[in-house]
Amino acid sequence: MLYVENLHKSYLVGKEPVEVLKGVSFQLAQGEFVAVMGPSGSGKTTLLNCISCYIPFDRGQITLGGQKLSDLDEAALAKVRNQKLGFVFQDFMLLDGLTVRDNILLPRILSGAVDAQAESYADDLCRTFGIDHIRNKYPAEISGGEKQRTAVARALINHPLVILADEPTGNLDSKSSRAVIDSFQRAQRELGATIFMVTHDSFAASFCDRVVLLQDGVVYDTLTNPGSRSAFQDQLLAAIKSMSGGDDHAIL
Amino acid sequence: MQSFNQLTAHLRRQGRKNYLLLMGCCFFSVLLITAYVSMMRSPTVLSVLPEGGDSRKQVMMVFVLAVVGCAVFTTYASGLFLRSKSRETGIFLALGASRAQVRRQLYRDLGIVSVASCAAGALLGTPLAWVIWQIFRLVVVDSEEMVLSFDPQAYLYALAFSVFVTVALFLMAAQFIRRTNIIDIVNEARKSEPIREVKPWYGRVGILLLVAGGVLGYMMPSFFVRQLHWYAPGAVTAIFYLPAMVGLYMVLLHTVVNGWGRGRNRYKHIISTSQMRFQGRQTVRNMLVITVLVAGAYFASFYAPMLSTSSSYQFDTRPVDYAYHFRSDQDIPLEDEVRQLAADYGVIITTFTHQPSAILGTDGTISIEQDNGALGTTYTEAYREIAGGASFLPESAYNALTGQGIDIPAGSCANVLDDEGGSSYLSGGDVTHLTNMSTGATLDVTPAEPLCCTLLLGYYVLDDADYAAIAADLTPDWREEVVFFNVEDVEATYPFAKALFNEIVDRSEPEVEVADYWDPVQRELAIAETGRYDYDDPAYLAEADLYQADYGQRDSSDFRNYWKYMPQFRVLDENDFLTTMAVFLMLFIFIALICFAAVLVIAYTRCLTIAAGNVQVYDDLRHLGASPWYLYCTVRRQVSRVFVTPVTVGTAAMWGLYLLIMYFNGEPYGYTGGELAGMGSCLLVTAGCSALIYVVYRLTLRQVLSLLHIHR
Repeated sequence: MLYVENLHKSYLVGKEPVEVLKGVSFQLAQGEFVAVMGPSGSGKTTLLNCISCYIPFDRGQITLGGQKLSDLDEAALAKVRNQKLGFVFQDFMLLDGLTVRDNILLPRILSGAVDAQAESYADDLCRTFGIDHIRNKYPAEISGGEKQRTAVARALINHPLVILADEPTGNLDSKSSRAVIDSFQRAQRELGATIFMVTHDSFAASFCDRVVLLQDGVVYDTLTNPGSRSAFQDQLLAAIKSMSGGDDHAIL
Repeated sequence: MQSFNQLTAHLRRQGRKNYLLLMGCCFFSVLLITAYVSMMRSPTVLSVLPEGGDSRKQVMMVFVLAVVGCAVFTTYASGLFLRSKSRETGIFLALGASRAQVRRQLYRDLGIVSVASCAAGALLGTPLAWVIWQIFRLVVVDSEEMVLSFDPQAYLYALAFSVFVTVALFLMAAQFIRRTNIIDIVNEARKSEPIREVKPWYGRVGILLLVAGGVLGYMMPSFFVRQLHWYAPGAVTAIFYLPAMVGLYMVLLHTVVNGWGRGRNRYKHIISTSQMRFQGRQTVRNMLVITVLVAGAYFASFYAPMLSTSSSYQFDTRPVDYAYHFRSDQDIPLEDEVRQLAADYGVIITTFTHQPSAILGTDGTISIEQDNGALGTTYTEAYREIAGGASFLPESAYNALTGQGIDIPAGSCANVLDDEGGSSYLSGGDVTHLTNMSTGATLDVTPAEPLCCTLLLGYYVLDDADYAAIAADLTPDWREEVVFFNVEDVEATYPFAKALFNEIVDRSEPEVEVADYWDPVQRELAIAETGRYDYDDPAYLAEADLYQADYGQRDSSDFRNYWKYMPQFRVLDENDFLTTMAVFLMLFIFIALICFAAVLVIAYTRCLTIAAGNVQVYDDLRHLGASPWYLYCTVRRQVSRVFVTPVTVGTAAMWGLYLLIMYFNGEPYGYTGGELAGMGSCLLVTAGCSALIYVVYRLTLRQVLSLLHIHR
């Protein structure tokens, strides 16, 4: 579904180039729920932005659904973002002037593909994620958890190949975080969604099938969920501790 | 909602405040510029502003300031608008809208906004100018000259400015969309504008540069002329004002970023200073514009009080009620006829003095100018035994006219300055060689101590015997008569004054229908050398845009100011001053109005955007336990800084420049009574305008507090 091979990306800090991604490689199978974790500055968000086609990368390859992103022009990349990817951001990125339902339909509106079927699907998503009762409300009138569930529903409206989530629980309390993770799991389970999530939160990550640990721009380790969430969280915490040289607070 | 168009239409409605703000700013800028240019290009106004004259340059200079101010203001408003659009644009791009799609939509919005606002501003600008002018005519003064006409060419300027506004909007939008990093666009609305570190010495050095630039800019042109004999091009002399602009920027930057009371009140003002610091670039740019416009506004608004007060002072201190002179070959009323006319009007003449004078050739240096194209004009001076003409009085005539008792030694000649011994630049200076233009007789004289009499400014006085010798056998066209008389209750003699003035004009022949630059001696020389005198040629005068005297326009300001034989009747001058100078005065009042309006709107808009951008900060401060009084103080400090700093600097800068101009305006350097009286009036104008600005400041402060939900 998604292949990332030997990805390199550097930024100019002043006049000096600083390499943030130094040859990252991994892959996602269809229907997988994968998280990427790592300390600040490890390159998590840069990796996500490259996959999202928000920023160009220097070298390497990203292949999404058999299509190499580096071969695409600006218009084609926009189409990929619209139809093959779904996005969930830390600060929700909802338009304040649109209702919950219209926000969910936004990717379809942008591609001019709103029809009765899309509207009906938006309503289904509202029901699926427990936001049916607020679908005519504006973002300013709903809670953070509801906003993020709206964002998850929006990410799914175009039946994307992959949902990319950037710290989706970062601005939420534990109850709302749990509700959002539930939404992801439901999307995975019921809609067959593939999810790639950047997070600092080992609790959120422990619900994933796999977790890619990044450090200093390279993949430090990849851990697979053994089937028990709490055991996986312990495993994650141990790996993080070892990655940060014994510092318990490096990520948490 | 089915389509992208419907979506953006919906968002447009939701964000109509941002659209209205942008439209309002563009509309206001174009409106002001159109109104200004309509007035500036109006034939009514152009007819009283001599081509190449200082007044026209001043009007143009303030116009340039207004254009720069409005341009900066418009780009500021565009920046705000794009910031307000950045979040939705970023989300569109992030969710897969193509740049072309977003660009198309943004351009469509901007197209509608710019065309609608610019068209409305351009269409209403001229009517606005007309309405203001009619109010002037109704409330202040009305005269024949004040019938306003417009030149359609003004619309070309309005169009050019509208095109600038539109192009600037689209360029900024294009740059906004072109940004490759979507994340940057998304974060744009939340981005602060940190400015680089500002050293603590910026403020002091800024003030120094400001003063130095003002002094250098004012002094260098006369230095070039006097020392280097070079009339430098405008661009060269303008360069010397540059330090003032740099200094102004540094002062404002220091004020915004560091503040002036750093040590003492560092913690007291830490919130307001830090908030302003992170909106530094925009704030400083706005304050710079406000400062420059305030300076322009005061420059224009000082014109009317300065001119009217100093003229009024001059009329009041004039020692003689009625004074006129005429060439001896003209049939102009003398004592008998004047007394008869006075009797007809019930006017009692208390004293009447009539004395002869002579027009003689005088020696001096003439300037031979060389046009160096873009490098300006240089000149060399050459001595001529006959360089020009001047009027001469015998000492007895001078004493009879002025009541003074001077005695000019034989062989010497005294130049007459104004009552305070000034205006030497108008008096002609020392002469040493005189020529009788009828007989060719000459007389060498030595300069004597100058005399003081404003009514005879520019005359020369000779010993009686010398006068008799040199003026002997002058034909009547080289002789003049000087008449001074006083009346009882001069204020009640306006009808008589008007009748006598009309009589003098009616009986003056066409050969004396000339302006004050017309010199009979130079005319003789020119005709002897080239067969023609340019100032006799109406075509030359029209081409050079020089005033041509016209008896038919005897009530116009030009005629009253520039006719060579214009009588000086106190009651006539006092009563007609406002009507003859009306266009001139009203134009400058109009300019001041436009500039002040721009200042108030820019400051108001800036303060409201400060409020809009800081709602969250004030919520946070409230949550941290800040009292309403503390919040009020931080808001007041920010709003007052936007108003007070630029207004204070602009006012001080203009006063500094004005004091400088007045001080060096004429030798000996210093302030005349008229100038001091004029500056007193300017002080009142400054107080009035400052009070108005204060009222707007208070209203703005109240509005900002309300937006931030702060209640004292």
